[in-house]
Amino acid sequence: MPSWQDFEPFIVSGLALGGVYALSGVGMVVLYQATGVVYLAFGAVGAMGALIAWSLINDAHAPGWVGWLVCVAFGAVVTLGYGMVFGPALAKRDPLVKAVATLGLTLVLFGVMDLLWTTSGGESRAITLPTDNGGFTIGQVQVDWTQVIGLAAGVAITVVTGVFLRYAKLGTAMRAMANDREITATLGVPVRRVEAAAWLGCGILAGVAGVLLADLVALDATTLTFLVISSLAATLIARLRSITVTFAAAIVIGLVHDLLTPIQALTNYRDMTPFVLAAIALLVLSRGGGRVLSRSREEA
Amino acid sequence: MGIRKHTPGVRWAVALGAGIAIVAAAGCSSGSSTTSSTPSGSSSSSPPSSSSTVSTSQCGTKPGVAATGTPIALGGIVTNQPGTSFTDIANMANAYFACVNANGGINGHPIKYYIETEQTNPAQIAADAKQLVQTDHVVGIVGNTSIIECSIDSSYWQKLGYYIIDSGIAPECYSTPNSAAVNMGPRYSSDGAVQYALAQHVSKIVFDQSNVPGTGYIAAGPNALAAAAHVPIVQLTENVPISDADSVAIKEVDDAGPNGAVVLNFTPPEALVILQAAQKLGLEDKVKLWGCSTPCNTDFLATSLGPKWNSKLFVNAELTPPDVTTTTTMKLYEAILKQYGSAVSGGIGSFSQMGFTEAEIAVHALETVTGAYTVASVNAAFKAVSNYNTGMLCQAWTYGSYPMHIPNNEDYTVTPDNGKMVTAQGCTQISAVDPQIKAYRSAAGTAPMVQ
Repeated sequence: MPSWQDFEPFIVSGLALGGVYALSGVGMVVLYQATGVVYLAFGAVGAMGALIAWSLINDAHAPGWVGWLVCVAFGAVVTLGYGMVFGPALAKRDPLVKAVATLGLTLVLFGVMDLLWTTSGGESRAITLPTDNGGFTIGQVQVDWTQVIGLAAGVAITVVTGVFLRYAKLGTAMRAMANDREITATLGVPVRRVEAAAWLGCGILAGVAGVLLADLVALDATTLTFLVISSLAATLIARLRSITVTFAAAIVIGLVHDLLTPIQALTNYRDMTPFVLAAIALLVLSRGGGRVLSRSREEA
Repeated sequence: MGIRKHTPGVRWAVALGAGIAIVAAAGCSSGSSTTSSTPSGSSSSSPPSSSSTVSTSQCGTKPGVAATGTPIALGGIVTNQPGTSFTDIANMANAYFACVNANGGINGHPIKYYIETEQTNPAQIAADAKQLVQTDHVVGIVGNTSIIECSIDSSYWQKLGYYIIDSGIAPECYSTPNSAAVNMGPRYSSDGAVQYALAQHVSKIVFDQSNVPGTGYIAAGPNALAAAAHVPIVQLTENVPISDADSVAIKEVDDAGPNGAVVLNFTPPEALVILQAAQKLGLEDKVKLWGCSTPCNTDFLATSLGPKWNSKLFVNAELTPPDVTTTTTMKLYEAILKQYGSAVSGGIGSFSQMGFTEAEIAVHALETVTGAYTVASVNAAFKAVSNYNTGMLCQAWTYGSYPMHIPNNEDYTVTPDNGKMVTAQGCTQISAVDPQIKAYRSAAGTAPMVQ
């Protein structure tokens, strides 16, 4: 068994990884709260935005900030476009159908990325942010400001979104719509406009996450697209309800995952962490009543 | 329960499904076939132009004269899936053949090259081989580069008498009588990287590779080298794609210690993720050196990493570094790439060099065939290639009648230098401490050095 000193650097890296999961997970729960859709394309949208940013910066020699803004704008436009086109059409369908439809968008974007940003010639790409250059040291590990921003962004988004959904008029409308779209509409809430705001917000989050994750994790279509699967575990632990629990679960998943790394007997199994923790959490929570999707069906 | 028709939901689903199918078909190129340009194609419609010093007309025996005879059908199978694509190798071979076709062909016969792509699906790979043989009637297999193709099709090719010229990955690409690769593959390239680290007197080796089939076979080489040098070695594997590069880098550095070496065997994107994580965590100087097998030998990686890795990362290079070589062969390669290689997305680099070399050897062999181009005559010619100077390898390349083939077993070591890979060590033999290398040299001897 490694000593406490051996574990120390993995606490830092685990927090950073948890922050990464939280960024995606919180975004997904926000949209789910507002529209009842589990947006599985969150990672792919961010990945494609980041690849566009990379091309602008490296091929068109645009300033970095232009690339980052374009990434966020791409996330916003694609997500809003999807929501506006497919949202109303799928509004009355089962939540599972809505989720699978977003998987369709994921595959379309994934195919496009594979075509346009091929790796057949051994290409490897990276986005670096100015915040990578500064930082501080904890123990023997250097922490850069991008990692701090990633974690802080997760906290900020959690707090701001929580407050917004609870206290803002638009946030209340979103929550009402997630519960029952038709009743909300009969109460005079401009459903399409509220939905558009939710999709737009989620798209902006996807774009921001795309830039940060391209730097923190990797600028790779496969990695970023499927990172959302691990984040999904955090959202399941929170039963797609609580943004705060999603954030906490993501941090715990990241910490447990990385703390298993120095343990020789378990290190090869550490990638199972999100799913094992999600399965345990769901088993425990199911005693308290209801499955995750049963509520979703009622809501739909 | 009947199927409802024409509901909006179904229409959307059908539209989405069609969209996915189109993109998937285009993006994954599942089982698709492409062929090289024949004399009636674009490649032969205009005479080749000259490069600054070497003209592409040198790739054939009749400069500027398009081959019009009966095509000689050759084929290749390459992996093409998200995250792992070797299409550049086959596409470069195709470019070479197009150049040959435009300049006289093989005794007037153009080469028609069929490329099959696969997605690491054994049934699909077996079907690809049958497609090439039974439908396309290929007489030779050139340019195969696949994660598992050698394992799947080796016995099929042996049964039919095909002698493959390929870029190897799976063990069977090197351990069977009818596959000869131009590259060293992951095991021997990792040997080269570990050997370089051991030569720098490191106290420990950490060898980390992607968790894919064949890791045990690859690890056996570095294990043998480290054991012979009495240097402890730690073997690690990582699931790819890597999403926790920070913890991977920390573990590698912790295990290696300040006088140790971390040697990676990953594709460039995965290696880059680990190396960048190490850099961000300030770990690049916490070990004596970092090593990497051949896939890291790209300027993309050198550019992305930046100057902190100059003379810190040492990458095994199985082929002659193109940036510093000005031989006629290298100039011809660059000229062909420029004129015919529009499909080669990575441009100059190891993958396109491999495709060039495989096509070059195949053309050299085909030119020795007298009479009809049949499976028997073409494969006999392939097998007869002996001590051929490809201009791309440290040593002369030989096929021969051996139970196994590792014809490329001398290599370079390169290191990043401000965005470019430059030579750190010239041609060096892979140590015969690796039992496979020893077995091959016992059977085939040591080929003469040509670089």
